[in-house]
Amino acid sequence: MPEGILCNKTPIKTDEQLKLVLSDSRGTKYYAEMLELEVDSDALWALIQKTMKSRTKTWFEICAHCGLCANSCFLYQVNGRIPQQVPSYKIQSTLGEIVKKKGKVTNEFMRHCMDVAWSQCTCCNRCGMYCPHGIDMGVMFGYLRGLLYSQGFVPWELKIGSGMHRVYRAQMDVTTEDWVETCEWMAEETEEEWPGLEIPVDKQNADIMYTCNAREPKHYPEDVAEAAILFHVAGENWTVPSEGWEQTSLSMFAGDWECCKDNVQNVYDAIERLNPKRATGTECGHAHRATVIEGPYWTGRPDGLPPVPYIHYVEWLAEALRTGKLKIDPAKRIKEPVTLQDSCNYVRNQGLKDVTREIISYIVEPGYFVEMSPTKEHNYCCGGGGGFNGIGMYREQRNVALRTKMDQILDTGCKLVIAPCHNCWDAIRDLEEEYEIGIRWSFLKPLIIGMLDVPEHMLPKDEE
Amino acid sequence: MFKKIILATTGSPASFGAARVAFDMAKRYGSEVTIFHVLGVPTKAFSHVVNDVRTGEEVEVDADYLAWVEEELKTTYAKQFAGAENAKIVLATGMPPREILREARSQDADLIVMGASSGDSAKYQRGYPGSTLQKVAKAARCPVLTVHRESASYWGGFSNILFGTDFSKQATSAFKFALNTARELDCDLTIFHALDISGKVLDQDQIEEQLIVARKRIRATYVPQMGDFKNFDIEVWEGAPYVEIVKLAREKQVDLIVMAHHAHELDAEKAKIGSTVEQVIVRANCPVVSVSKPDKV
Amino acid sequence: MYDFLTGPMLWLTFAVSFGGLLVRIVLYIKGLNQQLDRVAYRAHMGYGLKGAFNSIISFLNPVGARLWRIRPGFALMFFVFHIGIVITPIFLIAHNVMLQENLGFSLPALPTCVADILTWAAVVAGLLLTLRRVAFPEVRILTTGYDYLMMVITLAPFVTGLLARYGVGDYQFWLTAHIITGEIWLLSLPFTKLSHVVLFFMSRAQLGMDYGIKRGGMKGSSMSW
Ligand code: HEM
Ligand code: HEM
Ligand code: SF4
Ligand code: SF4
Repeated sequence: MPEGILCNKTPIKTDEQLKLVLSDSRGTKYYAEMLELEVDSDALWALIQKTMKSRTKTWFEICAHCGLCANSCFLYQVNGRIPQQVPSYKIQSTLGEIVKKKGKVTNEFMRHCMDVAWSQCTCCNRCGMYCPHGIDMGVMFGYLRGLLYSQGFVPWELKIGSGMHRVYRAQMDVTTEDWVETCEWMAEETEEEWPGLEIPVDKQNADIMYTCNAREPKHYPEDVAEAAILFHVAGENWTVPSEGWEQTSLSMFAGDWECCKDNVQNVYDAIERLNPKRATGTECGHAHRATVIEGPYWTGRPDGLPPVPYIHYVEWLAEALRTGKLKIDPAKRIKEPVTLQDSCNYVRNQGLKDVTREIISYIVEPGYFVEMSPTKEHNYCCGGGGGFNGIGMYREQRNVALRTKMDQILDTGCKLVIAPCHNCWDAIRDLEEEYEIGIRWSFLKPLIIGMLDVPEHMLPKDEE
Repeated sequence: MFKKIILATTGSPASFGAARVAFDMAKRYGSEVTIFHVLGVPTKAFSHVVNDVRTGEEVEVDADYLAWVEEELKTTYAKQFAGAENAKIVLATGMPPREILREARSQDADLIVMGASSGDSAKYQRGYPGSTLQKVAKAARCPVLTVHRESASYWGGFSNILFGTDFSKQATSAFKFALNTARELDCDLTIFHALDISGKVLDQDQIEEQLIVARKRIRATYVPQMGDFKNFDIEVWEGAPYVEIVKLAREKQVDLIVMAHHAHELDAEKAKIGSTVEQVIVRANCPVVSVSKPDKV
Repeated sequence: MYDFLTGPMLWLTFAVSFGGLLVRIVLYIKGLNQQLDRVAYRAHMGYGLKGAFNSIISFLNPVGARLWRIRPGFALMFFVFHIGIVITPIFLIAHNVMLQENLGFSLPALPTCVADILTWAAVVAGLLLTLRRVAFPEVRILTTGYDYLMMVITLAPFVTGLLARYGVGDYQFWLTAHIITGEIWLLSLPFTKLSHVVLFFMSRAQLGMDYGIKRGGMKGSSMSW
């Protein structure tokens, strides 16, 4: 059985297929089928020849085998420094071999590659900063994931994840109607406390368009409400698109390049349609990376930029606080030791290290902010990046990976962690669940709402 | 008035009191009851793995699991099911308060019935302040009836309603609900205000004076709304509001307390001390209805 | 023999070596692809070059990159090794005398004792780097025979040069050996991993442009390597 019913080289394109794969608990049958999946060496090699150019080839050629990248990788550190976790080794023994053998590799080898690509690398790109030659294994693993996906060797959850994106254009089964309905619902719920608050859907020519993570409408719609409150208080002329509101990309984690493109195009289409001056997204790292940092290239934009300036939520917040659109009541600032999790996806990948600290300077009483070590672009991955959080099969490895962040947090002595990224937030929640170190963690939105100095006229008229 | 009732439950003994009230109401007033159970909080990806609400363990939500939970619930409520024609079970995954609100909204429910601890397990509380009850009570369009104690003195049906007011906007809605219920079910209604003197030093004359003012205010605010409804009574006492309400309820053998819910505060610590209604819920010996919106009264 | 090696063969070696390196540079640049690499090289050349410059300079400076700062021992070996390897042959008196004789110009020359020290240091550092390969598991797992071969090719002219310099045994023999190994050294540059003499700059520049354009440079945030 070269191609399975559940596990095959074809992406999930229909709702039926999606439901079918989803109904296979824990992917038991899916992974069983994978054992039989045939490798199409010719197609694999053709794809490599087409897509592997001088950058990657050179990286393989000039790698000095010096092992300097070893210590830069948190997975190497946290897994007892076994040599099999050295980034250079990980990529050479997988992608390197496939290339060397011109794609003529076995099913077993492909499954091994899958394990390495999704459970031994989170594509955090940290090693790239510590290689004297500038070899970025994170980038190469991203590439390897694409090759594996094209051959059907991808963890069950991510096959479904990119299937969701293909079918629903969102990482979960949230339809356009569900989304619009959620916006209405949240507006209704919030309006009472914030008179005049609206969640304008599909408003033309707004100053800023907001996009989010499907998990928010699906499970945490208060996050949408919180965004609305902050836009409302800041007096922002904003909107959300009815279509193209989902900013995340599990397809990026899965290596489903075609789907990545489709997702981002959908968001850009919303921008074209509504013509906002700018756009911003929720407190999510990989969503920003997908839509703003990598997206323009997937869709083939020659300037490498989205159609309008597309800022991360932390940039919007910093700006609103800086310009006084949002005011913090100094009495309500955080007065306990607090630390900040720098997300790889917009700190190491877009340098947004200073804006978050600017926000901190407004909301934390001076003297209470403690940096993690290392920090900023040198910070370690939360432990759950690159899809690691979501893959059942690698749960154990993921839990081990969380220890790096745990130690970093413990070293700060803080009990409160600000984590302006969905993935980091999840990883930190899980790490508390797993290791119970007694910490709390939060996105920025709820913290800021709790500290706002709200102008008199925005408060609900008093009851009496 | 009680056409659609949502019984938010964990299926645990703590929710039996709530279930008893809900099913009884269904039988008496011909309501449709939805036994609404949130399986758990999704831990990763697309909600297929959840932390089970009761055990806190991670489980995979698939057809087998769903069938099993449904069976469990049916057994748990077997007795009640027997008499209730219009009962169905709905299962969902997500954060319990959110999903309860979502279901209430999509059904346009008239009443949500919950045990005071419906769906609170330490596991998914983390990272989100406020209890399930607080969140539901705060945001629900319809009144929320809570039965905290299993032993609550509920003998079936309502005959004696206590409405506690603080004259807030929400209290107006709560009053309408209390009045409509009293009318519909032919109950006695006590309108009560507690003069909050905690932390204040007042001499007896001042207290007396304020009690008279409050009494007048009740007359001016609520009596005109009652039209031909005459089974009411007005009480104004001084003291800590939640204590006085519970005391009075006990004295008068009240079987339903109606109050406004208007805690803006979601921070669990602050809200717990701040909100009278929550204190009442914990202490009262009968069901308590909290009302915060004017829509479904 | 000597005449051939220092005559036509030397010219051929230079031509192949430097020509080859030039070809490597050109091929590298031609093989860049804005869409596959996801870096808009052309559109934002200014930012790109700034990032490239930052990236290269940081790693040529022994305290410029965090990598070097947290690994001072390795940094020392690396810089001693490479300074010895790159500087000595170019500014060596003996080589420049030959340059003068053949082409009529020469570069400033290093004092002999400095050249000696640099050469010795390079050899010792090279041996230590090799020792690392055996000693540390994280390096051992990466190491292949090819890596040792590279080190042998790299050090051979230095060792033979030293032997000739000190007149150990037959000078003529060692000199011939030196010239042969020297030419092998040069010829290896474009065809082996030693191509990193130029590709290091290419690769660092590429990642520097990535950071300079896409990964923060255009947000005005400069990467601290
Ligand atoms: C291919 C043509 C070459 C010729 C004709 C040549 C010639 C010479 C001569 C005549 C000496 C002086 C020996 C003495 O002191 O008596 C010398 C020394 C030296 N050569 Fe070369 N060489 C060549 C290539 C190279 C290359 C490619 C390298 C480096 C990789 C190199 C590195 C050295 C070093 C390091 C010394 C000096 C050792 C010391 O002074 O301690 N040579 N070479
Ligand atoms: C300006 C030119 C050069 C630069 C920027 C450069 C840079 C580097 C870098 C970054 C490494 C990796 C780190 C390490 O393992 O030490 C390296 C390694 C190495 N380079 Fe170079 N290099 C240059 C010239 C050369 C030349 C001319 C040779 C000899 C032909 C050479 C031979 C080596 C060798 C043998 C290694 C591996 C060292 C080891 O075994 O650890 N390099 N070089
Ligand atoms: S640090 Fe760079 S050159 Fe050294 S082994 Fe790692 S990838 Fe190769
Ligand atoms: S990208 Fe991150 S996780 Fe992957 S090998 Fe490099 S340092 Fe390790």
